[in-house]
Amino acid sequence: MILAMSKVRILGPRLRLNQVLGSLQRIGVLQLATPTEPASLATLALTPGQQRERRYLKAALEDIAVAMEELGLAASTFEGPAPVPLARPGEGTGVRYVRVASRARRQAVRLKIRETALEEERALILKYQGFFAAFRPLLENEARWPNASIYHVLLKADQAGVIERLHASLSQVIGDAFELYSRHLESGETAVLLIVSAQGAGRVERLMAEAQVQEIPVPSGYGDGSLSDVFPRMLARLGELPGDLDAVRRERAALARKYGKDLRAGREWLASRLQALEALTLSGVTARAFVIEGWVPSDARRKLEIRLRAEVGEEIVVSEISREEWRSEEAPVVLKNPRIFRPFEAIIGLMPLPRYGTIDPTPFVAVFFPAFFGIIMGDIGYGLLLAAVGLLLHWRSKPGTTLRSVAEIIGPCALFSIIAGVLYGELFGDLGRRWLGLQPLAFNREEALIPFLLLALGLGIVHVLLGLVLGVVSAMRRRHPREAVGRGASAVAVVLIIVALLAVTKVLPRGLFTPAVIGVLVAFPVLVIAEGIIAPIELLSTLGNILSYARIMALGVASVMLAVVANRMVGAIGSAAVGIVFALIFHLVNFAIGMFSPTIHALRLHYVEFFGKFYSPGGVRYQPFGGWKLHDTTAQRHDGMTA
Amino acid sequence: MEVLSVVLAAALAIAIPALATAWAQSRIGPAIAASMAEKPELSTTAVLMIAIPETMVILGFVVAVLILFRTA
Repeated sequence: MILAMSKVRILGPRLRLNQVLGSLQRIGVLQLATPTEPASLATLALTPGQQRERRYLKAALEDIAVAMEELGLAASTFEGPAPVPLARPGEGTGVRYVRVASRARRQAVRLKIRETALEEERALILKYQGFFAAFRPLLENEARWPNASIYHVLLKADQAGVIERLHASLSQVIGDAFELYSRHLESGETAVLLIVSAQGAGRVERLMAEAQVQEIPVPSGYGDGSLSDVFPRMLARLGELPGDLDAVRRERAALARKYGKDLRAGREWLASRLQALEALTLSGVTARAFVIEGWVPSDARRKLEIRLRAEVGEEIVVSEISREEWRSEEAPVVLKNPRIFRPFEAIIGLMPLPRYGTIDPTPFVAVFFPAFFGIIMGDIGYGLLLAAVGLLLHWRSKPGTTLRSVAEIIGPCALFSIIAGVLYGELFGDLGRRWLGLQPLAFNREEALIPFLLLALGLGIVHVLLGLVLGVVSAMRRRHPREAVGRGASAVAVVLIIVALLAVTKVLPRGLFTPAVIGVLVAFPVLVIAEGIIAPIELLSTLGNILSYARIMALGVASVMLAVVANRMVGAIGSAAVGIVFALIFHLVNFAIGMFSPTIHALRLHYVEFFGKFYSPGGVRYQPFGGWKLHDTTAQRHDGMTA
Repeated sequence: MEVLSVVLAAALAIAIPALATAWAQSRIGPAIAASMAEKPELSTTAVLMIAIPETMVILGFVVAVLILFRTA
């Protein structure tokens, strides 16, 4: 759910402003906002010294970001920095961090440049290696042409036609005073060796430039001489390069060990200090008083007031700004769900946040996403493998990371796959049936395609109707009655159309057909009045959305058929051992497809078909003053405040 | 002859949307890959964009199944 927020106004004597901001930063639940009242209030401006300090802090933070990136230090989230007072940091901690940041960046960038140069050198020598191998006999006899200019050219695969054009142009310009050799290399490129009399060299270079042919020059840094003289030295260098690259990597690892702790701590300290400075600019002041406004989770408001008064004193007044004075769109959004649903917030996190006052779809995603996944995969064996993958990821990941969320999402998906596998009687396709006599409890997906299709469409009806109902609720919460009526009329029309279809096909009593059609005819004008002339198209699109759930059946059938084909390889290919190897490979491929394909399609069904009915993106993330790790520490800090 | 027609109809029902899907994805894939290189935050859009044309082949498959089962 989306946590209820309150907007609060804090008033106090101006002399206490720094102290209040320090307390707010320590408490870490208030997201600051520009004060709205009264109009005559002046926004506090930073002094020149503070502005200079802000610039230094920003530069130092950029140094740290670059250094951490280059040193391969994970850009982990901040671990609740210790708030710093608003007074100047002086020559102590802050200055030390700034110096460390600058030094670490300089050294990390120097290493990066060195590594890039070594890699480029290796790539260049490898290019020459191909060239030299192609023309070795010719190049070793370069001395035969003492008065000739020699050009070494590498043409890309799509430049093969250039050779003929170059040959024709050379003949035209310098007659037969040249020799041109070409060889195709394994890389797809074409090596070209062009030997021209010294007199014609200038014209040839112009021709090459016109044909957009670039010569690879004899590289510098390997001494003087022709390519055949230089090449042995280049080969020797190629042998040294891996050692040089290893040395650079070892040096980088040593730098990461040396600076890692300081960079992380510095990032927190400096960011904390920067945040404190920027908070000043969000404070309104008069000659004697200050006003701070901001957002706080509603159930933490009272505790914020108590802690603030305890830390600063009774002169501070904390009052709640009434709900009528602010719009939903302004309020920041923080999702708070039970532990079991929380990993699925990662799926919502791929979209823009929902607006404040609308619906957080996390609980619905937590139920339907694994269900769709399981119904598509639907195999006990694959489900167990998936559970093993989930456990492995859980073991390898740290709490609060995306990888941990993925591991925790895999768990329910594996569970649903196993349950669906039991219902379909599938264990690695039909292997369970053949070896263990496993029987389907619901239906056999290999044969019962129509029941499976109906199940998929039934799920679509439930999911889309749920989306429409949530759309009604969302519209009512946002006080858009017309939209709510439109969504409701759509839901009713969809139900009535389905009833009419079922009555025609005699699944439901025939007598329901006429009332259902009359109902649709009544709902239709309501729909047009509520949602406008586009409503009929929207209704058709909703019916199309339901049909889209047929993908659950299609992918499920494809999955089981691939598993069955894998099993049949054992008897179909020569010896049993070869067949078993092929079958295992095929099962592995099917399992890999089975992990990605249901994920992508279940996501699509949620993002397009389901969210399209009610989701209102555009929410602003809740970023409390003094809080960094939004998902975890906000919830923890908030829990701590409300406990 | 009738069986042949039915089988051919089912085959076309899935083959034509499959070609259409392949064509659509061949255009979308490089475009979205290029976009993601500049804006990695477009990953959600990438998933949707790649998955949207697959609706054609999936519905084609459903129609093919219905053709075959209706005849059987």
